[in-house]
Amino acid sequence: MPASFGFSSTDAIRFLPEIVLIVMGTLLMVLDPVIHKRSSEAFGHISLLALAAALGGAVLAYQNPGPAFGGMLMVDGFATFFRVLVIAVGMLTVLASYRFLARQDAETSEYHALLLFSISGQCLMADSNDLIMVFIGLEISSIASYILAGYLRDDKRANEASLKYFLLGSFATAFFLYGVALIYGATKSVNLTLVRQAIAGQDAPSPVFIGVAAALMFVGLAFKVSAAPFQIWAPDVYQGAPTPISAFLSAGPKAAAFAVFQRIFMTALEPIGNGWEPLVWGAALLSMIVGNFAALLQTDIKRMLAYSSIAHAGYVLVALAARSDVGVAAAMFYLAGYALMNVGAFTAVSTLTGKGERYTSIDDFAGLGQKQPLTAAMFSIFLLSLIGVPLTGGFFGKFYIFKAAMESHLVWLTVLGLLSSAVAAYYYLRILVVMYMKEPSEATVNAEPLSPGLSLALILPAVGTLALGIFPGWVLEFAGKSSNLVK
Amino acid sequence: MNHPFTMNLLAVVLLLPLFGFLAALAVPRSSPQASRVWALAISLATFVASLGLLFWFDRGAPGDQFMVDVPWIAPLDIHFAIAVNGVSLWLMILSTFLTPICVLISWRSITRRAKEFYAFLILLEFGLVGVFIAQDLFLFYVFWEVSLVPMYFLIGIWGHDRRIYAAVKFFLYTMAGSVLMLTAIIYIYNRTQTFNYAAILEMLSSGKLVFAPGEQMLLFLAFFVAFAIKVPLFPLHTWLPDAHVEAPSAGSVMLASVMLKMGTYGILRYCLPLFPSAARACAGWIAVLAIIGIVYGALVAMVQPNMKKLVAYSSVSHLGFVILGIFSFTQAGMDGAVYVMLAHGISTGALFAIVGLLSERRHSLEIADYGGVATVAPWLSTVFLIATLASIGLPLLSNFVGEFLVLQGTAIANYQWAIYASLGLVLSACYMLWMYQRVIYGEVNPEIRSHVPDLSPREWAAMVPLIAVMVWMGVYSQTFLQPIGKVTARVLDQTQVNVPYRVNRAQPGAEVANAR
Amino acid sequence: MQLWLIPILPLAGFLINGIFGRRFSKSLVNTVAIGSVVLAFAWVLRVIAGMGDLNTALNEHYFTWIQSGALSIGCDLAVDRLTIVMLLVVTGIGSLIHVYSIGYMAHEGGYYRFFAYLNLFMFFMLVLVLGANYLILFVGWEGVGLCSYLLIGFYFDKKFATNAGNKAFIVNRIGDFGFSLAIFYIVKNFGSLDFNTVFRQAASAPEWVLTIIALLLLVGACGKSAQIPLYVWLPDAMAGPTPVSALIHAATMVTAGVYMTARSWVVFTHAPVAMEWVACIGIVTAFFAASIGLVQNDIKKVFAYSTVSQLGYMFVGVGCGAFSAGVYHLVTHAFFKALLFLGAGSVIHALSGEQDMRNMGGLRKKIKWTYMTMMCAAVAIAGIPPFSGFFSKDAILLAAHQHAPWMYWLGVVTAGMTAFYVFRAMFMTFFGEYRGHEHPHESPPSMLIPLVILAVLSLGGGYLFKIPDFLSALFPAMEVPEDLSLMLISVAAGVAGIAVAWLMYIARPGMADSLAAAFRLPYQLIYNKWFVDEIYDAAVVKPVVGGSRVVLWKGVDSGLIDGSVNGVGSAARNIGSLLRMMQSGNVRSYATWVLLGSVLLIVAMWTAAGGIR
Repeated sequence: MPASFGFSSTDAIRFLPEIVLIVMGTLLMVLDPVIHKRSSEAFGHISLLALAAALGGAVLAYQNPGPAFGGMLMVDGFATFFRVLVIAVGMLTVLASYRFLARQDAETSEYHALLLFSISGQCLMADSNDLIMVFIGLEISSIASYILAGYLRDDKRANEASLKYFLLGSFATAFFLYGVALIYGATKSVNLTLVRQAIAGQDAPSPVFIGVAAALMFVGLAFKVSAAPFQIWAPDVYQGAPTPISAFLSAGPKAAAFAVFQRIFMTALEPIGNGWEPLVWGAALLSMIVGNFAALLQTDIKRMLAYSSIAHAGYVLVALAARSDVGVAAAMFYLAGYALMNVGAFTAVSTLTGKGERYTSIDDFAGLGQKQPLTAAMFSIFLLSLIGVPLTGGFFGKFYIFKAAMESHLVWLTVLGLLSSAVAAYYYLRILVVMYMKEPSEATVNAEPLSPGLSLALILPAVGTLALGIFPGWVLEFAGKSSNLVK
Repeated sequence: MNHPFTMNLLAVVLLLPLFGFLAALAVPRSSPQASRVWALAISLATFVASLGLLFWFDRGAPGDQFMVDVPWIAPLDIHFAIAVNGVSLWLMILSTFLTPICVLISWRSITRRAKEFYAFLILLEFGLVGVFIAQDLFLFYVFWEVSLVPMYFLIGIWGHDRRIYAAVKFFLYTMAGSVLMLTAIIYIYNRTQTFNYAAILEMLSSGKLVFAPGEQMLLFLAFFVAFAIKVPLFPLHTWLPDAHVEAPSAGSVMLASVMLKMGTYGILRYCLPLFPSAARACAGWIAVLAIIGIVYGALVAMVQPNMKKLVAYSSVSHLGFVILGIFSFTQAGMDGAVYVMLAHGISTGALFAIVGLLSERRHSLEIADYGGVATVAPWLSTVFLIATLASIGLPLLSNFVGEFLVLQGTAIANYQWAIYASLGLVLSACYMLWMYQRVIYGEVNPEIRSHVPDLSPREWAAMVPLIAVMVWMGVYSQTFLQPIGKVTARVLDQTQVNVPYRVNRAQPGAEVANAR
Repeated sequence: MQLWLIPILPLAGFLINGIFGRRFSKSLVNTVAIGSVVLAFAWVLRVIAGMGDLNTALNEHYFTWIQSGALSIGCDLAVDRLTIVMLLVVTGIGSLIHVYSIGYMAHEGGYYRFFAYLNLFMFFMLVLVLGANYLILFVGWEGVGLCSYLLIGFYFDKKFATNAGNKAFIVNRIGDFGFSLAIFYIVKNFGSLDFNTVFRQAASAPEWVLTIIALLLLVGACGKSAQIPLYVWLPDAMAGPTPVSALIHAATMVTAGVYMTARSWVVFTHAPVAMEWVACIGIVTAFFAASIGLVQNDIKKVFAYSTVSQLGYMFVGVGCGAFSAGVYHLVTHAFFKALLFLGAGSVIHALSGEQDMRNMGGLRKKIKWTYMTMMCAAVAIAGIPPFSGFFSKDAILLAAHQHAPWMYWLGVVTAGMTAFYVFRAMFMTFFGEYRGHEHPHESPPSMLIPLVILAVLSLGGGYLFKIPDFLSALFPAMEVPEDLSLMLISVAAGVAGIAVAWLMYIARPGMADSLAAAFRLPYQLIYNKWFVDEIYDAAVVKPVVGGSRVVLWKGVDSGLIDGSVNGVGSAARNIGSLLRMMQSGNVRSYATWVLLGSVLLIVAMWTAAGGIR
């Protein structure tokens, strides 16, 4: 049991990002009636401000790292990395949302508020060092995102998506919770550090007990990161949700869930690694295969990107299967690159879908290269990065992951993974083909010019993607520094 | 050589095209002429710079020269390290030499989205030059993949009817091969903790690093398949005809003349020195495939109704000679192989350029649509004839020296191989002359008379350099052979390393064994 | 002594005419062309004059052409007595034919192109004979092949002409296939291609090695010198302008095979088996080609087959070890066969393009000079003493008898046939009544002067140039007893041939046709050239082309390889559609999936964890 629940100022600082986000989120709700009539864009501005502040908070928190609230939270490089990541994702989402919401004339404060809440939940996941905290974070993040998925009330697909997401999500969370319960039962603790000690120590509880607990938690988290065989919900949800939200869902919660994943499995459950490695191994391979092969046939671009995100979850799992600090670092790096390119890709999609998200088939993007050179160019960068062409973050991430895997002698997983990524090239190329090698479609012809917000939401991740590809050094070093989770 | 200017000249040659590409993006879409002029200017500048390298190159030295080595990705000790040796020097110059020519022959034929076209062309040059001069395995792989993208767009956007199928096929084929190579590169890095090629070779020769038989074989194949697809070696060649037929003529030229050489260069530079025992173990099989490729390519070329497909299949045949020469493991064979790389680059490049000029006039690639061109365009026909003769290996023209040396080397290694491979020479005469006859000779039909003018000054400017080089390579081969020989001799020497396998410490075999 | 000038001069001529010729006047074009060749001829004489007793060969090295490891091939030229003979023939006859062409080509298109090609040919031919190693020789060898290709297809808008050109080049390539393999084998065994080096080692090399080399060289020779089985290109080659037939396909290029064999005498003499092959191929070709020549009606075709046949004689000569005799015949043949062709050309010129002898006749009064000069050639080739053909042919036949009597007898028969078909041609062309419609006109002096000079050479060439004596120092002496009876027999055969021809075409005009009707089967057989072309076409060309198209291209390439590649693609899609089945869209089924997955994991973990303990 944690020592004390005292609330010190350092605790406050280390908890700053969450605080900021929650407060600002609530504020948005309150201010809604005041602002709404005047300027609908104000919500966006405010939440951007909030996220900026949260970012500052995260950095500030990193200035004096360490445990908070009696070790329930752990503010370290790892946590900060993911905090910054999810906040950045949030910013991009907001930037992408301005135009989108306007087009669906659905700007309200709760959209942004929910976004902030969800992000705060993800921050909490990133730095929680305690299974209960993890669960709370998970729920905050999830519940908000369930609603966001169905945000466009009068869109049938969105509602269905939301419902599915909610039902299955809670189903999976239940598994996770049950796993937590088992752990607590076995080790009399929910604090990861203590759990680890309990497992590693002399009178260790029955490994079968722990193993089953691990499996249950694995289910919950695998669901959140949409890894096979629990990817099933992702295609429907990503397709149904409003495009910016799809972007958000495919990056933020996934990154946070992976953060938790690594914390739990590389800290608490690290001693029984030999036990759970095969699970991860299998899930990784299955995800890569399911994601890449199923994507081959998709005609709806959002659905296709959903499958691709399943495959990418698979790549990250490869890094976890390596069970090494390098693996953790690789996963961190990859998630950063993945978040940028995936959010970018979805944003690019959102520029074209039009009112009521009419245009989401791949063929609707025909001739984008001629009609909207900038969008097409940025989209191409994201796609090339998703394929894994050098000088992009996607490539270096893959490279680094498979390097880690090879270091742990996962030769066959590496070979199969790389081959499946070669298969993946095909469906990404299809988009390049229609954008550049086909005559303009109805959608591209009456596509509206880019708004400053959107172009920013495209250019920033593109720059980021290239930066990660050409000068990965600095991110790599940070990841390397903070990848050692075993304290 | 140590002059600061010459020290960084290689970097200049590499980065000029990159700069040119970025600047080309800034050129307004409205004025295609500007894009053309810019592309021509930058490619010429690059060519001149590369000639500077030729000038200051120490022809007597086998080692790498003009080394530029800048730390790039510190955590993994990846360096931006480039240099040239007697072989890569020529391949680099081949790229810089052909790019301006490609710009010239595209001048008229590319009107749609000219800006992007020339941008991609220059970017392609960047990638190709990089592949040949990279000294760091990671950097090499980066360039290897980067060169893929512009070619993909060149084929896919400015190609003919089935361009999309061809472009995707091209991309996927190469991708499938290169991921295997990536695996091998990572594996080697994990064994050696470095990407520095020279350092790895040093470890091999000093016995610090020894690949166990099975391990070495797998690594060799991983590299070799990637290269063999690019070459392309029978039976991995079927992407080539499609890509060539659909590509715009500039694309075909770069593809045939330079990109295919990426594969053969890779085999010569990486497969052999890194995995000598495996290479020697496979030599027999590979040689057989190469010979099949020579004869098969020629026979299939003979029955093609489409000019570009014909030349494409002829490339399969020619590249078979290169592979055969390399795996003869003789000085003559390897020198010849490199020489054929260059000669094929020039002669086939010229052929594709000329076919491009013809189809630009007559708007057809079908041989049947031609005939009697000689009457209306005598000079065009003459240039075509010279390129044809070079390609069928007539003495005093480029290819002869190479093919002679390859076959000579092969004969020394295994006389039977030489016998079968020599059939290629007979067949090449058959298909090339038959095509030439049907296209150039015969009654001139009104269609041709009205649509096919003779060479324009711009086209002369593109063709004369090619012809000049063909003759030079045929008459005075020492210019090229001397530096090449230095390198091939060293490669031969390196392929002696740990044959037969040394007693391998640290049981690397076990690592593969317990791989999961 | 600046040997390089000899080939370079014609090359310069080629470049000048080739590049600027179109803007030149005809007179300027032929000044350049002929000037360059005559200068080359003059320089040859200068070189000979400077060589003193001619017994020490003259070698000159200019630069290293190809160098790879130990193998180094220089750009070397050399002159010895054999080369001198060839040089004189090439440049001498070459000059004459250049002059002749002024008149003959006067009314043809592409005037400058013709002379440019001729100069280019001279260049390569001179390189061929001057080369001091096998590869330089090969350069000329391939080069003359190219020029022959270009000149045969000179009328490039005529399908048959360009076809003939391709045929010539490709059949020659088959020969070169052997030649190049020989070169590889030489290097493999002797490490060099230098004539001196190779021959020095050859003397002591194992016989089987030399036999392989010699046989491979023979393949090359058969291609270039139109011997069985590769002779088929030469008759078609007559599609080119007649001066070309005279220069390339009678006097010079086609004799390259003989030259090369003689040049490699050291190799051949140490490989008796190969020698036997050379002789046999020679004699069989001589007889076979002559038989076809008997019944041809195209005047040029007759002389073409005659050339093949005479080349056969030369092969017999060298094959029997009488190299000098072979070269001797090479020279005299150059005189009278060039003359026959040029004469034929003059006839064709006179009849503005008519080549079928059935539309000629009675021309001896209309074009007297042509008639008289050609008659000289006819008697020369018929082997009537004391004219040039007699000496050389007799030398060969004696050697043949020495070597193997049956060859001698077959040779004699062939000699009779030779006399017959030549005089048949003469009679059909110049005697009897004129059967044509054109109005014959004598050719201009530019054509007649060469004819006269060649006529003199054909008559007196045997005396003037005693080649065997001249070359005695070079080749191993071969004592052949002067046997008068053998000589008489062969002469008799020649006379008989003429007599029969006279009988059939002058005395009894109808006789030829009635004979043809009587022996219709054999007649048809030889009239259609033993159907060799058809057999080759059916046995080689069609199967290869058809097989490549149907089996290799459609079958293997498109079907097998691409099929399997696309197969992989569609397989991937199928997997995809299979996976898509999971996506029913129904929440309950999704939940079931999740449940199944979890159960699976838990069980797996259970067992795994059991393993940990």
